This record gives sequence, structure tokens and C-alpha cells, in this order.
Amino acid sequence: MMTAADFLNLLIAALMLAGIYGAMSVGMTVIYGVMKIVNLAHAGFMMMGAYFAYELFQRFNIDPLFGAFLALPVFFLFGMAIHWLLVRRLPKSDQPTLSSLLLMFGFWLVLQNVAYLTWGNTDMSILTPHTLSVINLGPITISTLRLVVFAAAVVSMAILQLILNRSWFGKSVRALIQNPYAAQITGVDDQKISRMAFGLGTAFAGFAGALLSMLYSFNPDFGRPFLVRSFVIIVLGGLESVPGVAFGALVLAVVETFSILAVPAGYQPAISFALLVVVLLLFPRGLAGLMQKKWRAA
Amino acid sequence: MRDLSLFCAGFRVGFRALRGGIAVALLFSATSVLVPESSRATAAADDTISIGVVLPTTGREGKPGQFQKEGIELAIKKINEAGGVFVKDKGKKLLLKEVFYDDGSDPQKSASLAERAMSSDHVTAVVGGYSTQLGQAESVMADRYQTPWIATGAGATAIFSQGYQYAFGALSPVEVLGATTVEFISKLVDQGKLKRGLRVAMAVENTDHGVDYVGGVKEWIAKHPGYFQLVFSENFELGSTDFSGLLQKVKASKADIYLADAHLQDYITMHRQYLQSGMRHQVVSYGARGPESDARKALGAGTDYVFAGIWWSQRLPYPQVAKFIADYKQFTGREPDSWYAATSHEAIRALAAAIEKAGTTNHAAVRNALHSVELKNSLLPGGVLKFGVNGQAGYPFVIVQNKPGDKVDIVYPKESATGEPIAPRP
Amino acid sequence: MKTGTPASGIRFSISSVLPWLLLVALIFLPSAGLGTNLIRLFFLTLVWIVTSVAWNLVGGFAGQVSFGFAVFYGVGAYTGALLMNQGVSPYAAMAGAAAMASIASLIVGAPTFRLRGPYFVIATIGVNEAVRVLMSNLAITGGASGLRLREHGPYRQVEHYYTALGAAAIAIAISAVIARSRFGLALRAIRQDEDAAADVGVNAYVCKLYVHAIAAALTGMAGAIFARYAAYINPQGVFAFNTSISILLMPVIGGIGTIWGPVLGGVVFGAIEEQLVANFPNIHLLLYGGLLMLIVLVEPDGLVGLFHRIVRRRGSDSRSKGIDKVLWGRSRLEGREL
Repeated sequence: MMTAADFLNLLIAALMLAGIYGAMSVGMTVIYGVMKIVNLAHAGFMMMGAYFAYELFQRFNIDPLFGAFLALPVFFLFGMAIHWLLVRRLPKSDQPTLSSLLLMFGFWLVLQNVAYLTWGNTDMSILTPHTLSVINLGPITISTLRLVVFAAAVVSMAILQLILNRSWFGKSVRALIQNPYAAQITGVDDQKISRMAFGLGTAFAGFAGALLSMLYSFNPDFGRPFLVRSFVIIVLGGLESVPGVAFGALVLAVVETFSILAVPAGYQPAISFALLVVVLLLFPRGLAGLMQKKWRAA
Repeated sequence: MRDLSLFCAGFRVGFRALRGGIAVALLFSATSVLVPESSRATAAADDTISIGVVLPTTGREGKPGQFQKEGIELAIKKINEAGGVFVKDKGKKLLLKEVFYDDGSDPQKSASLAERAMSSDHVTAVVGGYSTQLGQAESVMADRYQTPWIATGAGATAIFSQGYQYAFGALSPVEVLGATTVEFISKLVDQGKLKRGLRVAMAVENTDHGVDYVGGVKEWIAKHPGYFQLVFSENFELGSTDFSGLLQKVKASKADIYLADAHLQDYITMHRQYLQSGMRHQVVSYGARGPESDARKALGAGTDYVFAGIWWSQRLPYPQVAKFIADYKQFTGREPDSWYAATSHEAIRALAAAIEKAGTTNHAAVRNALHSVELKNSLLPGGVLKFGVNGQAGYPFVIVQNKPGDKVDIVYPKESATGEPIAPRP
Repeated sequence: MKTGTPASGIRFSISSVLPWLLLVALIFLPSAGLGTNLIRLFFLTLVWIVTSVAWNLVGGFAGQVSFGFAVFYGVGAYTGALLMNQGVSPYAAMAGAAAMASIASLIVGAPTFRLRGPYFVIATIGVNEAVRVLMSNLAITGGASGLRLREHGPYRQVEHYYTALGAAAIAIAISAVIARSRFGLALRAIRQDEDAAADVGVNAYVCKLYVHAIAAALTGMAGAIFARYAAYINPQGVFAFNTSISILLMPVIGGIGTIWGPVLGGVVFGAIEEQLVANFPNIHLLLYGGLLMLIVLVEPDGLVGLFHRIVRRRGSDSRSKGIDKVLWGRSRLEGREL
């Protein structure tokens, strides 16, 4: 029943999905790594990113792909502002705190409501000439847009990894992730780095949201299902590294896509969470925990 | 040492906590003062008839819920402009008054607000319940408070097979939708447009709506062997974001006809992914969704040739439909989008007719009148709205098809058709 | 260090009488001629209070923050509904629901309580979603179509009200007893520092399982009481992530780790939520979110903390702050690790 071409189609679909998943989770990981904040407002930032791309497209006819890259600096500043306004007032801790969770959740609700008031509850979507185009390679079909989104996601993650590895900022971030106390002793300004890391995480959330706006229709509630998947992915990836996220995204995408062969479609949304629970039980530090030593530094 | 201090402190916390009881008592009394003030529990004035309206205008069903609300408000406005409803036992015409609650697409809240309207707003009836799940939750309250309730957007038979006395539905059963859709396609087979024995794949929402739809299709196919062959049928979770796995399976089933039953948001998401994975079938339908302008905005020409079985279409060739469209445009500044506003509009008109017939706003009398009322010159297909023994309306569906250039044609039944069906999809 | 000063002795007697006065007031409330709608609001509020107090046992006393309480609420609702449809008496069905929810809590807790920190929180979110999807597809419970209750006999709202009142009283009593017992002390020790607690002989894992089971039983009972009232339940309702969020919000609003904080939170939530939704449908999320951020940043101890702060300012309660420090570190919410 499943031919080789079907299998290949599924594999490609899984890979494309992994790209999207990676892009949307990487921002969460940066914030978690540096500040140990499980950012529930991540979904709100993604939703804002989608509307950002939409507004640019409607008003200035800017292609959402380009809009996604424009979202990076804008959301970077937005994130820094949120950090300055709210996040820095949280009590410091090197473990995730309930107050940080609730603060970000509250902020997500506010973002949702602001979006309701601004754009209404209508499902919006962006329709460009490429939206529905496909590339046919014999029996294999690839959506052009998914390919583009995949490429953008991979490139951006590679750049992020480069920043974290090469720049002084990246080194400080890694120092903070590894040992916040030692890092501060050696002269890392943790407030500044936190602010920038929060900006960076937000920037990637906005970027991912803008990319997703090309694929999905969206409303102020947009992002909720992605949020929980992002959790799964960063847990799979061991919470604090970019390669870990890429790995987690790939695992989740492959499992979700191929599960369709064994499980009725109605159960598909449960796959990610079931995977999460199983992994947590077998590897309490995440799948990547097995290789933690190597990736933690990355 | 530490242990000891902890222990002592434990007692302390107990005392202080008890004092919190004061605050609780204060708050309880405060709320009991505050609540009746802010709830709209004012006794219905003698010269109005209150009608509770519970619909989602926010949340995932917010858009269709908004359309239904507009239909209701337009109907109330028109009735009031004509002087209101004549109530015999009051000896005069009374105006209709809407008491609106937004349930945010949450079934629990929906039931709770319907209850609130029935128990404290002195309503003559409650109208609302868009989408099957919310309607299911509300339906319980009708008999509990012996208040007539008309579902404007819930067509699952399960709601009306509970033996409820006060529950009515303005939508024809979803099974009929499924059966009408296949019957229409069979006509295409008869005309030679499609071959006999085509393979059908189905993907439906996992609620009663989806179950009824599949049931209707299956029953028709079983009764008319030779026409179609059902090769694939699965359920999906409403509000999913990714259907690519399901669609791959549909693709692998090598079907010729694809019948889905989805809500507006799922229709848009699924059809986008359908197109992006390069699929095509000779006939595609998304149940009762298809001609919505949101879908066209999202997918452009991608929605062309999609069929939908709906409870009402603005292309229906009745004079009252033209009048309704003109009024609606004037009222909202937009054209009616798909069927949503029409069924809720008609629910109010049927209710008004029933109140007039009963000659009173007494709940039981209005209920009895609703059972026997027959709304002539209705907007709905067939031109008549009446409620069956179980409270559910039963009028025919119309099948519409999206055509290139933002055109929507009624293609079935023949007497209302405004264009020829185009199949197989070019 | 028993309370020796006469002032605190008097206060003790007043404050120990107040809960009873409150109970009596609530018992006679329906005969005060309140309308159906108000009784309904009180009923819902009482149900919320049960869940809120239950969550606080795990989240407040033991410091294990769970985003998955809708699982127990839903399991209780479904168990209760299925039993009642089988003709079991409603109260037996509620007991059955509580038992079933306890069993569910062991299934959920046994593996997840081995996890610490954010992993536990995230695992509870995962369990919640997985169970909801499972229930949406299970045929025996009606799937996403939901489940209808067929209770024979007339519907009497007052009976529902008293059931909820009884449940709330039980929940608060359990909470008060635990708070003053050695078990409660052990839970606080776990909340403070799990390793240190283990050093003084507390079996943290078992304690957490116990308290989780008690909390789940209460939540399940609340679920069954609600199901009986609503007469129709579906997975999107009772198992919704939003239900979990609501259950967590109430103790936070009221003040976690206290006995009366969750009650207060439940009252505020139950009474205000519907008013917000009904009167400000456009900005209720904004108000919620704003309130939440305000509590986190300004008054992490919730309403009870605010109340104490006001009392303290009047100079009558200078000692409690010091005790708070001993007990909770800086405060109950602030700086709490998950």
C-alpha cells in the first residue's frame, strides 16, 4: 500500500516540518538557557510575528519571506524592551521559577487581547503567487513555500549557532548557561546579556511566526499548538543548545509524520506529548542529555 | 534546631491563615451585593420580549458566530421596525430585545451563559449555539429551565434525539448533508460527467457533526450499490495545524473523490496543505464549508471548483433572499458570507411567528407553537421553515460550487441551480 | 513557642469561629431567596474552590507546580458521569470519581515525580494534552462528541449547591489538617529543599505521591459534581488546558501555600470571571493577563499577602514577616523554583 514514492514523500514532509519546528523552538531555548525562563509568551511573539509579516505584506506589498527577516531586528528591540520593562524585575534564580512562568503567561494573554482588539478574531492569511506552487520531481511533490521556509529556518539557525560560537556576546551567553556565578565573576554583565538574549529569543519567535504565516492562516490564538510542541522539542534537545533543538525538531517531526502509518489521524496531536512523556521517563535529562557534555558548550 | 523552628512556625501560619477567613467572608458578601447589580437581572419590562442570544464572537468559532449574531440582530431590527410582535394576552405589539452573551467558543461557558440567560434574564427563549459542540452543551439547559431554545448553528442529530421538549434546531440534519452531497455526485455520474465505481476518501472532524456526515454518506452508498466505493475514512482533531500526515494517507488511498467535513479554520488549513502537496481529485468537498470569503482570501484560486452542501446560499432565486441580502448589506456593510446569517435570521423569525401564534410569552405555549409554526416565505431552501417532531428543522440542502473569478453557483437541486456543475475538476 | 500573649489568644478565638460562621451563612444562603443565577454562580465558585484548594496542596504546600490538573478534573467528571448513567447514586458516583482520579494521579505521578524542576512542569503539560486527545478519540466515552448525563428525577439546583458546599468544606478541612500535621511539615520541607528533606528522613517521593493522590481525589470529586450539574461534558471542556490554567491561577491570585489563599482565589475567580466575560468580552484576557503580571511583580503572596500587608501596616502583625522568611524564603511565590 505504501510505495517507495509515498515513503519518500513522507520523509520529505518530515524534514520540512523539522525545519519549521526548529525555527520556532530555537528562540525558546536561548531564553531558557540564559535566564531559565520557560517562556510561555513565546506563542504570543510568534503570533505577533505573523501579523507583522501580514501588515508589511498588506501595506507595502513586502514578501513575507523578506518580512520575516525584517522581523528579526524589530522583535529583537521589542524583546529587549519587554525585558527592561518586565522580565528584569523578576527575582533572580538559576532554576526556573513559578513567577517567571506566570509573568510570561500573563503577558501572552495581554498580547492575545491586543491582537484581538487590533485585528479582530478573523483568520488572516497571506496569499502570494508562490503560496500554492509545488515542485514536481516525478512522483515526489514538494511545496515550494515549505522548501523556502525550510531553507530560511536552517540558514537562520546556522547563523545563530555561528553567533553563539564566535562572537563575544555568544561566549558570554555560553558562559552564563554553563555557570552563571563564575561568568559574573569573570566580568560578564548578566543583566545586559540577559536583555540581549531575551531580545534574541523574541527575535527568533517573531521570525518563526512570520515564516509560519506563509504556511498557515492565523488569528490571535495562533501559536498555542506550536508552543507545546516547542516545549517537547527543547526538552528532547536538552533545553539549552541550538544543535539540541535541531535534533529535537527532527525527532519530533519524523515521529509525528510517520506515526500516521500506525496511528489514526485523530490521535496525531497526542503523539508529540506521548513522545515527551516517554522520553522524560527514559532519559530524565532529555534525549540530548546523553550527549550533554558535548552540546552544552555549543 | 531548624526543624523545631519550622514546627512552631507551622502553628503560626495556621492562625494567620484562619484570619484569612475574614477576608473570605467579606468578599462573599461583597460579591453577593455586586453580582445582581451587574448581571442584567432586570425583570423584563412589560413592553418588550427578551430573547437570550448565546454565540461565540471570540475564540476559534468567533467569525461564524459573529455572522450568526448579525443575522439575529437584523431580524430583530426588521421585526421591531414593523412595530414588533403582536401578543394577544397583552393586547398589543411588543418589541423584541436581545440579551447577548459571548461564550468565547468554550462549551462549558456556553452552557453556563445559556443557563444564566434562562434563569435570570426573564427571556422568552434563547437562541444560539453555533457549532455542534457548543450547541450540545447548551441543549441541556432548555428542558431544565423549560425555556424554548433554538440552535442556529448545530445540526447534529444527537442533540435532538434526547427526547428534549424545548430544544429546536434551525439546521437540517447533517446526515442529510452527507446524503445530499453523494446523491448530487451520483447525478454527475448519471450525466456521464464522472465514471461509475469511483473511489471515495473521507476525512471528517471527530465530533457528532463528522460522525453524522460519514453516516449519511455511508448509508447512501450502501443503498445505491455500484456508484461509489468508500476506500478511506478517518477522523481528525478540530483545530489541528498540520494535516500533512492525514493527507499523505488520503493520497495513498488513490481515491477519485475527496469528501471532508471540517470547520472553517480547518477547511482553510487543510485545503492549503492539500494544494501544497500537489493533490487533486475529480471532486472535492469540505462538507458545509466552501464558499466563505475568508477561504478565498487565504487560498485565492485554490478554492475554485470546491463543492459545498450548505443550509442556505445567497444565490437562491427567491425574492425574499434578494431583500435579505440588501438589508444585510445595509446593516453590516458586507455581503452575507455563506449560510451563517440566514439560519439565525430565520430562527428569530420563526420564534416571532410562534410567539404571535401562541398569543403569549409563556414558555410552554411558545414551545407548542414552535412545534406547529410554519414559516412561509422563508429564506431557506424550499422556502418553508418548520420544526419536526424532534424539534429539528428539515429542509433540503443546496450544493454550491466555487467557480473561477470569485463566483459561487448553486448547482443542485436543479430547480434552484444558477449554473452547471464543473466536474471532474479541470 | 506557643502563642502566649493575650492579644493573639483573643484573635485565635475570633478567627477560629469565623470559618464556622461562614459555613453557617452559606448553609442558609439558599433560603435567603437568592435567584437561580446567583445560586449557580455560588455553585460554580464552590466547585472552583475545591480544585483550587486541591491544587494548593501539591503546588503550594509541596511546591510541585502542576499544569495538568485538568486530567483529574476530567477523569472525575467522566467517571462520575459514566457511573451515574449506569444508575449508581450520585454520591457513590462522586466517591468513585475521587477514587478513579486518585488512581490516575498515581499513574501520572509515579513516573513524573521522579523528575525535578522544569521537567515536571513540562511533563504535566504533556500528560494533559495527551489525555485530552485520547479522550477525544475514545469511542466508549463518546469521543469529541462528549457525554450526556441521564439522571432520573427532577433537577434540584439547591441539592447541587449543597453538594458543592460540602465538597468545599471537606477540601478546606483536609487542607487545614494537612497544614498542621507532621505530613504537612514534611511537604514544606520538600518544598524548601528536597535533598535536605531527605536528609532528615522524609521520603519525598512517597510524600509527593500521597499528597498528589489526595489533591487528585478532591479535584476528581469536583469534576463529578460539575458533570452532574452540567449534564453534558466533552473533552474540549473538562480536559482543556485552560481548565488546568484556571485551577492554577486561583491559588496564585489568592496566595499559594496558605489555607485561605486558594479559597479567596476561587471566590475572586468564580465571581469575577463570568462577570468579566459577560460584561467585557473584548478585554477580559487583557484584564486577566494584567492582573497576573501585577500579582507576580507587585504582590507575589496574592490577596492574602496583600491583606497581611495592610494589617502589618497598621502595626498589629510584625512577627509574621519574619516567620514567612523562615518558612518560605523571601516569599511564597517570589523566587520559587519549580
